[in-house]
Formats: sequence, C-alpha cells, structure tokens
Amino acid sequence: MHRATPHGYARAWGGAQGLAYGGCQVHDEGDLVRRATQGDQQAFAQLYEAHFDRIYRYVSIRIGDKVEAEDMTQQVFVNALHSISSFKWQGKPFTAWLFRIAHNQVVDYLRRKKKQPATLLNESLPSSDYNPQTVAELNLDMERVSRATQQLTEAQREVISLRFAGGLSIIEVARIMGKSQGAIKALQHSAIVALRRVLLVRDNEKIESLS
Amino acid sequence: MKKSKAFRDIFEECLEFVLVKGETIEECLRRYPEHARELKSLLEIATATKKATAVQPSPEFRERARQQFYAALREMPAQKKRAGFSWGRQPQWATVVAAVLALLLVSGGTVAAASGSMPDQPLYTVKRASEQVRLALTPSRLRKAELYARLADRRVSEIVYLASRSKSEQVLQTTESLDEHLARIADLATTPKMMTYETSLTAPMSTTTPTETPALGKAAPETPPPVTITVPRDDAARVAFEERTELRAMVMYQAIHNPARLKAALMNAPPKTRLALLRAIATSETGYQKALQSLED
Repeated sequence: MHRATPHGYARAWGGAQGLAYGGCQVHDEGDLVRRATQGDQQAFAQLYEAHFDRIYRYVSIRIGDKVEAEDMTQQVFVNALHSISSFKWQGKPFTAWLFRIAHNQVVDYLRRKKKQPATLLNESLPSSDYNPQTVAELNLDMERVSRATQQLTEAQREVISLRFAGGLSIIEVARIMGKSQGAIKALQHSAIVALRRVLLVRDNEKIESLS
Repeated sequence: MKKSKAFRDIFEECLEFVLVKGETIEECLRRYPEHARELKSLLEIATATKKATAVQPSPEFRERARQQFYAALREMPAQKKRAGFSWGRQPQWATVVAAVLALLLVSGGTVAAASGSMPDQPLYTVKRASEQVRLALTPSRLRKAELYARLADRRVSEIVYLASRSKSEQVLQTTESLDEHLARIADLATTPKMMTYETSLTAPMSTTTPTETPALGKAAPETPPPVTITVPRDDAARVAFEERTELRAMVMYQAIHNPARLKAALMNAPPKTRLALLRAIATSETGYQKALQSLED
C-alpha cells in the first residue's frame, strides 16, 4: 500500500513528492509550498519542474489534442502562480490543488467544445467475450487510450486520467474527486473493465475488417 | 457485494505491486489464484494503459513553456510589492530585471527553436559548432560573458533532458561544459582589462577617472587616483553599466532557477542518473555563485 508522508502524500505511480534522493536532500513538498505561498520563486520553480510532466500527461489524455494540451498545461501553471498566495494547507495537499486547477480547465475546455462522450459503458455489460491472448497483444498509444476513455463515464475517465496519466495515488485521487478511497477503487475497477471491453471490441472489429 | 469489494482491493493491491514495485503479473496471480483469470486481463489492460499514457512533453515545448512560466514567475514579486510586500531597496533594479526578463522572453522562442537538438541527436555537433562561431565573433567581453550565460542555460536544459533518458555519461559530459561556461563568465567578469574598462566607465563625470572600481551603487572615492584610459565616459559608461547590470540580472536569474530545475529533475530521475545529476547540481550552484561574485566585485 502507499505510505503517507507527514503531509499526507503517498509516493504514487511516477509521482514526485520526494524527500531525499540519492543522498541529496531535496525540500519536501510541504516546505516548498509554504515558501512558494510566501513568494519564494525558487520554491515555486521546483514545484513547477516536479509537476509539469504529470499535468501535461493528465491534460493530454483528457482532451486528446497535443497542441491544446500544451497550451492548457502552460495555462494551468500560470493560473496556479496567480493563485498560490491564497493556497492554504487545509487537508488538501498541493498536488490535489494543482490537479483541481487542471481539472477545472479541462472541464471548461470540453464544455466549450461541447464534446460529449458517445455511449457510456459500465461494468454491468458482459465481459466474457474477450480473448485473453488478444489482451497481451494490445499495442496501445496515448491517442488510442484517449479515444477509448471517451467511452467511459466522466467519473471513470477522471480516475483513469488521474491515476494512470497523472500518476496519483488512490488517496490523492480521492481527495481531488471528493470521494472515499473505496469509491475510487470501485471506479478504477469499473473503468478498467470498461476499457478492456472498448479496446478489445475495437481490436476485434479491426481484425475482422482486415480479414 | 462484499466479494466484489474484496476483488477491487485485490486489484488495487496488484496494481501497486506491478506498477510501483515492479513485480510481474504472474507473481501477483500466484498470490490470488482464485482470481487469476480476471486479474490477468485487467492487469494487462492497466499496464498497457499506464505505458500508453507515459508520454513526455517535447523538449521544444518544455523549453517554450519554461520561458513563459519563469517570465510570469518573475513578475510576481512586483505584484506583491504593490500589495505592500518589500522587494529590495532599489526600485530601478526591478525595472532593469523586468527589462532583462522581457528580453529573455522575446528571445526565448527563437533560442528554443534554434536549439532543438540534444546531445544524443545528430544535429548536436552542428549546434555546438555554431556556438563556437558565435563566441569567436563576439569581441566584447561583456557580450561574450552574456553569451556564455545563455549557453550555460542550454547546457542545463540538455542535462535535464539527458537525465530523463538515463544517459548518465552524457550528463557528466554536459556538466563539464556547464562548468566551463560558468567559469568563463567568472573569468570575463574579473579580468584586469574588463575591470579597468568598467572603472573608467562607472566613474563620475570628470576629466580623470579612478582606477579603483567603486562598488555599484556606492559613492566613488573622495580622492580618486588618476588613470590613463581615455574613453567617452558619459555615453559609453552608461552603456557598459547597463550591460553589466543586465548580465548580472541574467546570471542571478539563472542562479536561482537552474539549480532548481536540476533538483526537480533529480526527483524523477532514474536511479542510474542520480549521481551524475548530483554532480550537475553541485557544479551549477558553485559555478553560478562564483560568476555572481565576480560580477559583484
């Protein structure tokens, strides 16, 4: 299981909340955030460098457009910079706060684009028609995953984006989405089940169209 | 319902083992043979999804974004000052820094576009050769020092890029170049010729100028000894003073942000490159401090 740090963080999948690496003392995120809220530029620069890739990945999978994702990633940090002085450590850590900014921008963007998920799948759909051999042969890329997540519910899509692209822990995702850890685990499970169905159905359709 | 919840916990536990701790899916399946079939396919989908979403921003975008963000970052103290926070005693300093940052911002896009190649790419030798040409064609010591500062900034970007790709040997090589660039800034800022030139240019308006350089912002000695250099002190002095101030602002800016970039890279660096990155961090901190000290003299 994840081990929480004194600030409630967990070292997640590719996460960046470290204390000491390779014998070099690196400021923990709580200290960096405190300094950043007081106008310490170097502290905010470190936070920027530590979170940039994760925010970019999260935004990329949510909107599925490279150019838009680049613009939005930049805007997330500029917005964070303008709001950091009002950030208060009230249970929600900085990571959750930053991803919340990104989430809000994604939602605004999608609303403007009026992108609606096509058909929603859920785990109640039969899943017995997959071929285990086909799963191992899946050759996914970001674009394909992004397209596949459009078939998920909004909550499932958010969990997949935060967990897999953002590299956040269950605890962090729960904080961002305002749900219990159990609810996030359930959403994660149902999302992967739905993704399996979407990806394998498409894979099978592709094979059939070629044959 | 209870059974379903238990499976979700098992799935999460296996995800943790496979994606974080590097276990194989088979090892996880051996723990839960009763769920092996379902777990196998879900874990395969999850690992494939994780792999597919592990995209990296392009180096060009990363640099462009960094320039924009750091420019915005530097604007923040000025905003806080208006809100009642203090930022130094010299208001003109903020103006100079803002001007330098605007300059950096404007030139940043061009530099980023021209400096796209990285040390592990074919065009890199061309890039380094063109840098040498630019250095050779820059006669002014101040301008040369400024160019070295810009090149040091490039080397830091390259180190970050190389570290993310586990290329520790090239990180060390690029760190040597960084060290050399920073040492050259310090040399150029402290050579006797430059000091004498600066002395004459920063002297008060008189027919003779002091040989001893007064610290910037301080009054000149009451009885300055005579000097032999004859330069048009008014305009040239102002230009040189501004150039030196701009260079100091640039180096100060880099001294804050480049070690921070390297430390942030260390957070995500593969274990193989951490030692090399630690050397790069130490080199950047020491090198920038020496360069700044030279510019303060």
